[in-house]
Amino acid sequence: MLSKPDSALIIVGHGSTLNPDSSAPTFDHAESIIQRGIFGEVHCAFWKEEPSLRQVLDCVESEDVYVVPNFISEGYFTRTVIPRELGLDGPVTRIGRHTVKYCEPVGSHEKMTELLLARAAAIAPGVPPEKTTLFIVGHGTNLNDNSALAAKREVERIAAMGRYGEVLSAYMEEPPLIADWATLASQLNVVVVPFFIADGLHSYEDIPVLLGIASESPGAASAGGASVFAGNPYSLRGRTLFYASSIGTEHGFAEVILDQVAAFDSVK
Amino acid sequence: MNTLTAFTRWLENGGRTIGQIAITRSGDGWELRHADDSSDGGELQTFTRWQDARTLATLDDAGAFRPIKTTNDLRHGWRLVLSSVAEVVRALDYFYPAMLGLWTADARGELTPTDLRDTLARQTGMYRITQKLTDDQAQALIGRQCSRCLKTMLWRIAPAQPITSLPPEKHQRAAFPLLCREACNLLVGLARGVVKEATSPESSTAAASPPA
Repeated sequence: MLSKPDSALIIVGHGSTLNPDSSAPTFDHAESIIQRGIFGEVHCAFWKEEPSLRQVLDCVESEDVYVVPNFISEGYFTRTVIPRELGLDGPVTRIGRHTVKYCEPVGSHEKMTELLLARAAAIAPGVPPEKTTLFIVGHGTNLNDNSALAAKREVERIAAMGRYGEVLSAYMEEPPLIADWATLASQLNVVVVPFFIADGLHSYEDIPVLLGIASESPGAASAGGASVFAGNPYSLRGRTLFYASSIGTEHGFAEVILDQVAAFDSVK
Repeated sequence: MNTLTAFTRWLENGGRTIGQIAITRSGDGWELRHADDSSDGGELQTFTRWQDARTLATLDDAGAFRPIKTTNDLRHGWRLVLSSVAEVVRALDYFYPAMLGLWTADARGELTPTDLRDTLARQTGMYRITQKLTDDQAQALIGRQCSRCLKTMLWRIAPAQPITSLPPEKHQRAAFPLLCREACNLLVGLARGVVKEATSPESSTAAASPPA
């Protein structure tokens, strides 16, 4: 088991200046790791909230520091924003009294597949997978990252297992569009799992509207947006539809954060 | 000296107020509450986990999200009872993120503020446009936005350009200073809005038109 009493862990999230939903899973995973006493220190840092990426290293007392991006894919934030704001110049950077080790983002870990399967099974208990179309939903375009590629990679892995009748990727803003789910899906049961790091505008409002299970924006989580999950299953367009919350809220993400630290150490 | 040791010593020396939070002894432990709330505590809702501080810090009294936790709108009506100084430090990390760490770094002489021009110069993507923010626009924006924040400002517009749009006390350390080492992302985002507004065709037309 991982034990780093002389090291600090910084979990980096995007955060939001508009609602608390974006940072909530990052804080949840940090609390979970703190309770386990693995690291001497655990901190969160955000692009759009505080502690900010510019503040966090001033708060770290340990010399040895691991940084794990709580992001779904490699891209603009993991390659440009986080290194720039923290002052990183490679996998290992000496900054003042700190040695900062920059790990892979959580979404790149092979355990994502297992977590997606667990979430899909949990949202549709007793529903035979072989008679189910599973959608992994990404954002697509407009985001300067590879989240669409990451969603496709997970679809390929799950499809190769042969467990589900059909496994498809779909996106909010590029084809195949999640709005076309009923024509894309061949099975009577449909399970939709958003491949996002947090619940919020996309999972509470945008995707439900595109699926046709919400006609207007119910609001962010703090305003009761999570009620969209209470309506499962939805009988719609001749199918039984199950809609899950974003994969990043899965408790197993804390384990993946730790795995990315272990993975960093294994290749040094 | 680390943060826990430094903060323990601060409490031992009688320190009891941080921002809008009052800290008192509670049996063998500690109690935190909004400094404005009455001392009898009869009407206050009691919480007992350091993690509860996250929920207490998230929304203001009207239920609006607080993107910057050092604004002067901490919600009222609660008391947080904790068993140790270590728990108080964790709770304060939610109430005032990074502030205890920056306080310790400042005491060690390790805190290096970053001026606004340097912050804006490194922006990329949608925030690159903030490099066009004029000095006058910056002063006006800071005067408008930062006056609600309890932090002591350590940065300037540029080395020879102090911030003149805030009262002098905004630049002076409080008894327990909440320190602002650099413009926050919220301010950078607002700077983007100011520049876009000023450079939009409608704005140019309006500026060119004679007053009605």
